[in-house]
Amino acid sequence: MSRGAILFAFNSPKVDYYAMAEYTAKRINHFLNLPVTIVTDQSSIPKYSTYEFDKVVISDPDKDNYFRGDVWINKGRFQAYEYSPYDETLLLDVDYMVNSDRLLKVFDLMKDYVCHENIAQLMIPKGEQEKLSQHSFPALWATVLGFRKTEKSEQLFACMKMIQKNYRHYANLYSFNPDIYRNDFALTIAHRIINGHYYDNTNILPWNLMHVWLKTNLYVERKSKFNTKYTVIYDNQKNNKVRKEYITIKDMDFHVINKDVFLGLM
Amino acid sequence: MDTKKLVADMKARFEHNSAKHYLKEKYSSKLLVADQGGLWKADLNTISFLNSTTNKTTVMLDLYDIPVSVNVKKLKEKLVDAYDTVMSEWHKEYKELEAKR
Repeated sequence: MSRGAILFAFNSPKVDYYAMAEYTAKRINHFLNLPVTIVTDQSSIPKYSTYEFDKVVISDPDKDNYFRGDVWINKGRFQAYEYSPYDETLLLDVDYMVNSDRLLKVFDLMKDYVCHENIAQLMIPKGEQEKLSQHSFPALWATVLGFRKTEKSEQLFACMKMIQKNYRHYANLYSFNPDIYRNDFALTIAHRIINGHYYDNTNILPWNLMHVWLKTNLYVERKSKFNTKYTVIYDNQKNNKVRKEYITIKDMDFHVINKDVFLGLM
Repeated sequence: MDTKKLVADMKARFEHNSAKHYLKEKYSSKLLVADQGGLWKADLNTISFLNSTTNKTTVMLDLYDIPVSVNVKKLKEKLVDAYDTVMSEWHKEYKELEAKR
């Protein structure tokens, strides 16, 4: 039974996702002892690199997606099932900071596939859960998606493909913004569809996905190769005043929303 | 980077509630134990139940609401071991953060 991780990384004019993928892959190798496959395009691959991925899959990405004025190449994630060379795969976003071996537990839990439903936010203990839209159901997160090559997992990814193709229709159906394609939403709807619109919690990871949200900065004490200690500083805005708050954390995985913050940690 | 100096220069305050929240998020997930075909949380309720039953085997609902027949002694040993290890680490880090106030 082979195990590994797969990352998707297509550079945009502003963000070097390939460099982020290399950084994350090294941490996956170190903390999880797993090989890493990358799905990328030729133009994202740097001329000189010292890191060797287990497998490099060249893909032609659909670039028709924009977020805050920048192209955001996140479509085609449904191809993870086809591209993964492993029997059991961890599909991670490249901005997921691996600081421990916690994700190995995913392999103990999944029958077909597993992902996060609930999130927590560093420095915001009472942060809200995200929904597809105001009056809809909670969104799942495609940031960490573990899957086995089973019939049900294949159905999930095939369904995500269908949703990506017909995104405007589903956006209309569930009342969310059709102009920004999100894998989280495609996953949420696909999960519902293949389970007969019945809520099934056996595909949900029983711990929260920790986010480093906006207005939150991270600093490392010293730039060692596999640093796991951070000082977190948060701008807490109250009554038109900003109060700086901080904590220190160690050995905890998290998902960094702000790409500049992630790049600053590399 | 000298983060102590950074924190002092920014006049940032240590936020105790956020630190407690971070510790809970970090260590709660470590209390999860996969054993005997089910997923369990090494918490006081589960361990108390395993202590109270006199049966060698019993059926318990795991975290996914799946009924699983378990060997009581073996599961108890695993959960108590996980509980002791994780809670000791939690307590130690809590004390370290508490000292920063």
